[in-house]
Parts: sequence; structure tokens; C-alpha cells
Amino acid sequence: MSKRDGRIGWLFALPWVFGFTVFLLYPVVASLFLSFTSYSILKPPRLIGTANYVELYHDPIFWKSLSNTFLYVLGAVPLGTVMAIALALLLNSKVKGMAIYRTLFFLPTLVPMAALGVLFLWIFNGDYGILNAGLKLVHLPLPNWLGDPAWSKWTLILISVWGCGQAMIIYLAGLQDVPVSLYEACEIDGASSWARTRAVTLPLISPVILFNVIMGIIGSLQVFAVPYIMFMDGAPARSTYVFTSYLLDNAFKFQRMGYACALGWVMFVITLILTLLSMKIAERHVHYEGG
Amino acid sequence: MFTHLLLITLGILFVIPFLWMLSTALKPAPEVLSNPPRWIPSKFLWGNFHEAIMYDSADLGFIPFLVYLQNTVVLAILCVTGAVFSNALVGYAFARLKWPGRDVFFALTLATMMIPFPVLMSPTFGLFKFLGWIGTFRPLWVPTFFGSAFNIFLLRQFFRSIPMELSEAAKIDGAGEFRIFLDVVVPLAKPGLAVVALFTFMATWNDFLGPLIYLLDQKTFTLALGLQAYQSQNGGTPWNLLMAATLMVVAPVILVFFLAQKLFIQGIATSGLKG
Amino acid sequence: MTLVVLVALACVGISESVANRQTSKDRVDITYWEKWTGPEATVMRQLVNRYNASQNKVHVNYVTISTIDVKTLLSTSGGDPPDVAGIWVENLVQFEDANMLTDLTDMAAKAGLDKNYYVKNYWDMMNYNGRLYAFPSTPASTALHVRPDLIPAQYASPDTFPKTLDEFDDLMFAVTKKDEDGKLKQAGFMPTNPGWWHWSWPYLFGGSLYDGKEITIDTPDNLRAFEWCKKYADHLGPDAMTEFQSAFGNNSSPEDPFMVGKVVTEFNGVWKGHYIKEQKPDTPWFAVPLPYRNDRPDLANHSMITSDILVIPTGAKHLKEAFDFLRFTQSQPEMEALCKGQGKNSPLAKVSDAFYKDHTNKFIHLFDQLARSPTAFYSPQIGVFPQLRSEMDDVFQEITTGQKSPKKALDDAQDHMSELWHTYRVQVLGEPQ
Repeated sequence: MSKRDGRIGWLFALPWVFGFTVFLLYPVVASLFLSFTSYSILKPPRLIGTANYVELYHDPIFWKSLSNTFLYVLGAVPLGTVMAIALALLLNSKVKGMAIYRTLFFLPTLVPMAALGVLFLWIFNGDYGILNAGLKLVHLPLPNWLGDPAWSKWTLILISVWGCGQAMIIYLAGLQDVPVSLYEACEIDGASSWARTRAVTLPLISPVILFNVIMGIIGSLQVFAVPYIMFMDGAPARSTYVFTSYLLDNAFKFQRMGYACALGWVMFVITLILTLLSMKIAERHVHYEGG
Repeated sequence: MFTHLLLITLGILFVIPFLWMLSTALKPAPEVLSNPPRWIPSKFLWGNFHEAIMYDSADLGFIPFLVYLQNTVVLAILCVTGAVFSNALVGYAFARLKWPGRDVFFALTLATMMIPFPVLMSPTFGLFKFLGWIGTFRPLWVPTFFGSAFNIFLLRQFFRSIPMELSEAAKIDGAGEFRIFLDVVVPLAKPGLAVVALFTFMATWNDFLGPLIYLLDQKTFTLALGLQAYQSQNGGTPWNLLMAATLMVVAPVILVFFLAQKLFIQGIATSGLKG
Repeated sequence: MTLVVLVALACVGISESVANRQTSKDRVDITYWEKWTGPEATVMRQLVNRYNASQNKVHVNYVTISTIDVKTLLSTSGGDPPDVAGIWVENLVQFEDANMLTDLTDMAAKAGLDKNYYVKNYWDMMNYNGRLYAFPSTPASTALHVRPDLIPAQYASPDTFPKTLDEFDDLMFAVTKKDEDGKLKQAGFMPTNPGWWHWSWPYLFGGSLYDGKEITIDTPDNLRAFEWCKKYADHLGPDAMTEFQSAFGNNSSPEDPFMVGKVVTEFNGVWKGHYIKEQKPDTPWFAVPLPYRNDRPDLANHSMITSDILVIPTGAKHLKEAFDFLRFTQSQPEMEALCKGQGKNSPLAKVSDAFYKDHTNKFIHLFDQLARSPTAFYSPQIGVFPQLRSEMDDVFQEITTGQKSPKKALDDAQDHMSELWHTYRVQVLGEPQ
């Protein structure tokens, strides 16, 4: 390759070089540095060694918000994945009116978070929400979705599953790639559709599953808007206080940016670990086409 | 048959919140919080949509819905322009040009998708403070002119799928790289560019955290943030109007998606995201 | 292609003009951010108009800002704060510890705005470490509001209503009504209505959260306070408690529980009377001082007091002009117009007779007395008050949902907050380790 080619490549990539350095590299490094300081933005940062990290280790709210977020991820990602795949499989069967169903299931992801929060404050209301009204009709117990710490996270999880449309679309696209011939072979063998799904479909879309699960984990770890709007300060009893909320409160409400950066790096490391873990587990289960 | 039944049931469950939004938007105020909840409003107040836009109450003051709309549209146009231009250039660089460090840099780019926003937040805020941009729209749209990992990845896949022979032919004809980019490759990658435009539009329309942190004066708010203006601290929130306003905020995005569905899915499929 | 570029440029232009401040001409334009909307805003806007009309050197732009404390923090740290901000007194210490407020002491002294000019309690709240950082815009005191039509006649007047806690509790329990399903129909007293001051229960019981040096959460007085809260939670049912606390904010709307009769008494501020007159004037009500512990008669006539305040954030561009506007707001006629217009009491030591005449709150004299009472209390002057308040909200919720016993909740909160306070003292206040 000529020197001229090399230069042109860099020229074209220049905007991203700048963007990457200024908006990603710099903040990540600065964040690491600031995590070793006490910094309230109107006063210059003061180096305090590992004090922030020691503090968060002893901070009950750190652990609470972390466990809240983990429980949320544990509920939202598996349930969301199952729902998205199930919907994609259903829609893949060339059903009449597919375009309408597709839009229907994708609709929730189009709604701004601010609106979602308010709407659900209503739907989940223990007394005059339609969810409990519906449950009452089928004689199921009526949880206090918004006021009972045992149920409040389920509210967030259910809302998240309702928003699985984006993943569903990606699965749908992935399903298009499964050769029809394989399905026909199964039919000839007399396999049931569930067996066919298990043996053929799922393995063939496993790379898509991996991608969505990883994106799902990364996204859920950062969950913020819906809990922020629906629950004040993570009420009831901080059961819905998620990690990002605590980080933002520290940065802006309590003016403790150094501590917020330490929290941010903890989240970063956890994200990395979970991603690598997923990929390791995937090595055994994910089937790549042609290999 | 079973499939059909399941689809209908799930479909209904998924769409109920929207139906409820619509039902509430059309209700007269006293019926909104009725217990047990009623589905069909006694009167269909289509006028609520108009009232939501012009809402001026003793309690909340005038809510400048149209100003929020303008702000959001302006911001969306800026972000979409920035995203399409910058990511096209960069995606092209990664896809069709050879340059030292290209593959390492691409791997790094992918890795950045794992960086959670909260870890970037404080220094980024400090940066914008240093520039004096807090309280303006600039923190929200200027970064889009410098690329984003997700869109770069998307467009790289698209550009790779266009045969290199076309570029080579143009080169033989004496065209410079930028000419090739503009006249040969970009026209063929329109679906990919459209997907980037679409995703960026939706992200900007619905963005909540960015405006929350960077916008201060109420008259600069976007729709996502401005919807909160309908919530009164003192009670007396006009729920029916809030739902009407919400529906009006949601409608454009739904429309755009419905019209561009095929493009969307084709875009995701071709991008190879799934693999 | 050129079309796209032109559109984009137009958008840049629009977005810049929306976000930009006005440039001044001969006069100086200053920005005043205020939290109020609706009728409260109208009263202040009228004051601003009067100021603007009274001279032509300074022009005040009144801007409504939501979540104003956070926004003021953000803009001040962003280097571009408003010239005047209308926040709450609960924000004062935290802001000042972070160097975000302008010291007003000297300018105030020159203008004759000193401790003799104000009610002592409010003056104390505006000062921190001996310096003045804020002026009151509108103050408030709190009392117990009662529905005489929902209680037995022998208690139904300010003189005969129970003054001490035990009798109060008995009466409240007696008038609580539930329907056949066990659902609450009418509550005597509901601690979560409005539920804005869970940090204040200890103070009602003669306890405190901060003694000026250390955090004092796990004390016997505070334990009594939260055991009392738990008593009500058990009696009313935790679901009912959270329903009232829900983010719906029915308080002071036409569905207000007190006005509608879902609660018989309510611990709320001087503005309540004003709202009742506006929303449902036929509501029968009277106000009495909050009940006090039977074994602590020294606490009689206590009240939680608070205030909306005006500050000049650090970095404000027009210090002199901002102060001139503040001086105007503090003059007796203007202050009285503002407070009377919002239905509140006045923070000034001297109050004219005209102020009381035709005041929308028929119990204004009571609220005025309570504001001046030596047993009145207000939020502790500690820089970690935001965290402290959030912690006490959590304590209240943990106790009332049965997650922790009052003793455990208070002990845990004590551990956490004293740790946090110690870190704050070292890192923010610069004290030695």
C-alpha cells in the first residue's frame, strides 16, 4: 500500500479519531484519575489516594444499588431474551398481518422514557391501575407494585420485557438466514416443531443470541430513566435505587464527582467481566456458520 | 392456529398500555382517576390534543409544547446530519481503504461499545463546562459530528458489501478517493445510511439523560424532557392532557418506523450485526 | 446535498438563538431563576414588574425552572449560573460548603438588613458560620390542620383539641374507618400525607439528627419518634401509607385527601389554608400547634419551619445589580405583598396590621406565632443534608414496610451517616483525618 493511501485512510477516519480521543479516551482516562480525587467541580480536584474505593466498599448504598441493578439484570435479560425469541419465532411463521404485529411489538421501544414512566406509574398503581384490575378479574392476588419493596423491581423488569421489540427485530433478521432446507429436512424426519426449534433454529441463531444478550447486559447495567421517573430516590425503601441513579446523585446532587468516577469505573469493570464471561460461556454453545 | 392465538393474546397484552394512553387522552378530567378504571370515555374529547399544546393553567403556567417540539426537531436534524456525514466517512475508511493501524483501531472501536456512559459522564461534563457549553444545545449535537462506534460498525458492513471492482474502475478513470466515495459508493449504500439516519433520529427524539444534564432553561427543553412539565408538584396534574401530549410525542416516531420498516430490517440484516 | 447543508446551518442558527441570553443595552439585564409556577409565580412576577418599573438601570428576567436546586448546582458548576436563584433553605449549607454562594453579609449590613430586621429563627437559618448567604423570599411554618366535622364535637375546636400526643393518638385511632374489605376509608392522621419531611419526626419528639458536631440518629428520642410512625403504619396498613405517598401528588389539588375528607388531620404548612380557600373553600377546618409528647411539655408550640430563599450563586455576572433586586424584595411593603399574595407568613420582625387584615389564611396569627416560637425547629445546618434527608426517607420506609425494626433502621442509618459525615468533613471541609 502506498504512503498516499495510508494518509487518505487516516484523513477519512479523522472525525472518529478526534471523537474517539476527546469523547471516549479522554473521559475514560480522566475518570480513572478523578476516581482517586475528591472533586466538586468548583474546587480543583484533590488527590486522596484510594479513599473513594475504600469508601464504596463500606458504603451500604453502593451495595444496595449494585444488588438492585444485578437483580434487575438477572430478571430482565433472561426474560427479555425468551420473550424476544418467542415473538420472533411466532412472527417468522409467515403469519397474516405480520407487518402489523411487527409494529405492535416494536412500538414500546419507540416511546420516550419520560412518557413510559408516567404511564406505568398509573398502570401499576395498586388501587386504580389496570394491571391489578385485570388480575382481580382472574382472581389472582394483587401485589402493591409500587409500594412494596418485594414487588417494585418486578415492575421494572416487566416494563423492560415489554420493551423487547428491538431485540425481537434482530432475531427476526437472524431467523431469515436459517436455510429453509433444514426445516424441510426436519419435516421429513417427522420432528415436532419444538424439537426442530431446539435442534436446528436455536443453534443456528446462537450468534445473534450472544450479541443480544451481551448488549442486553450492557444496557441493563446502566438502566436509569424509568426508575428515575417512576420512583423517587429508589422508593420504596431504596428497592429501585439503581446503580446509575446513585452515580448521578453523587456527581450532581451531592457534588462528589470523584466518588462518582470511582463508581463509574466499578461499573466499567463489572461490564467488562460480564461481557468476557458471556463470551467464554458462548464458546461452548455458540455455533458459527461454516465452523 | 395455536400460533395465531398466541400472537393475538400477546399482541393485545403488548398494546394495552397504548390503548390505555389513548383512552386517557380522550377522557374528560374527572374520569381519569376513576376507580375501578373505565376504558371507554363518556365523551371522546379529541380537543384534548389541541388543549395539550396550548395548555396554560393557573398551576403550571404555559407549557410551551410547540417550543419543545421545535427544539427536538432542530436537534434531531442536527444529530442526523452529523451522524450520517461523519460515520459515512469513517465507515468508508475502515471498509474500503487500507491504512496502517486500521484493524487495531477497528477492534478498539468495537471495544468502546462496552463502555458504560456513567463512567464518561463526569469528565465529559467538566469538558463542556470548560468550553462554556452547559445550558446550550452543543453538548447534544456536536459530538455526533465525530462518529460513534455503533454507526461506524454498521456502515462498515454496508460499505464492505459493495464490490471493490466498482471503486477500482473509477480509479482507473482517474477519480480521486473522495470522488469515488461520493459518486460511486455512497449512492449504493443508501439503505445503510438510511438506517443510521433512522436510528439516530429515534435516539435523539427519545433522549432523556443528555437533555437532563445539559439543558437548564425550560424554554430549551426537548419533548422527552418537557413532558415532565405537565406533572404538577401540587397535584392537579392534567393526566388526560399529559397522555395526549405523550401520544403526540410518540406519533412521529411510530409513523417513521411504520413507513420505513422494511428498510430497518433490511438494514439490520445486511449489517451482519447478528453475527 | 447543498440543501442538507443549508438546513443544517439553519438549525445551528436556531439552536444557538434559543439557548442564548439577551444582550444588554444601557441597562443591565439579570436572570432570576425561580421554582414557582401558577399563582405563586404570578405574585412574584408582579413584584419583579414593580422593581423593573421603579428604575431603569436593572431589568430582571424571571425564568421558571423545574428541579431548581439541581439545576442551580449544574449551572453554577457549569460556570454559567443565573444572577439570582430561588432555592430552598435546605440547600444552603451544602451549596456554601461547595463554594457556590456569594457572601451577602457586608452588602446586607450596609442596606440595614440585619438580625434585628428579621424574625430570629429565619435570620438564623439564612446564616451559616456567622455569615449571611441568603434572603428569605417566602417563609413558612407548619401546624396541624383539623376537620372539625369529622371528629366528636367535644374535641372540635382549637381550644379543646388534644394538645398532647397520647390523647391525639387515641382520637386519631378512634376516627379511622375501614370498609368491609379492610381497605382504608378515612384515616385520622396519615404520616405520609404529604410525607415531605420524614427527617422531621425526630425533632417533633424532642430529638435531633445533628448536634452541631456529630450525627445523632440512634438516640432514644428518635427511636420513640419512629416507633410512633410504625404504630400508625401498623394501624393504617402499609399499602395505604404508600398510596398516600405515591408520586401522584394529590396534595392541594381538588382530590386533596384533607379537603375530600380521606384524612381527618394533616401536618402541613401555612400555604395549606390558601389552597383550601382556592380549591374548596367550603371545607371546614382549623389549625392548632402540632401535639407534643406528654412527658415533654417544654416542647409545646413547636413547629417545623422552613423557607424559600434567594441566593446569588458564585460566578453570577451581575453582583451589584442582583443585590439591588434582593434589597428591593426585602423591603417591608414588598415582602408583605409577596408573602400575603402566596398566603404565607412574613419573615420580618415587624409586621403591619394591613398584612393580617384579609389574609387568605384565617389562622395566620397562629402561623406567625409558631414561626417566632423558641421551640420551632428547622432542618439541621449540615452540608450532607441531602444525603441525610434521603437516608431518613429510607429509614421511614424500611420501618413502615416492616423491612427493619425501628432500632435496627436507626442504628444502620447512624453507622452510614456518621461514616459519610466524617468523610465529608475530611474531604470537603478540609478537617484533618
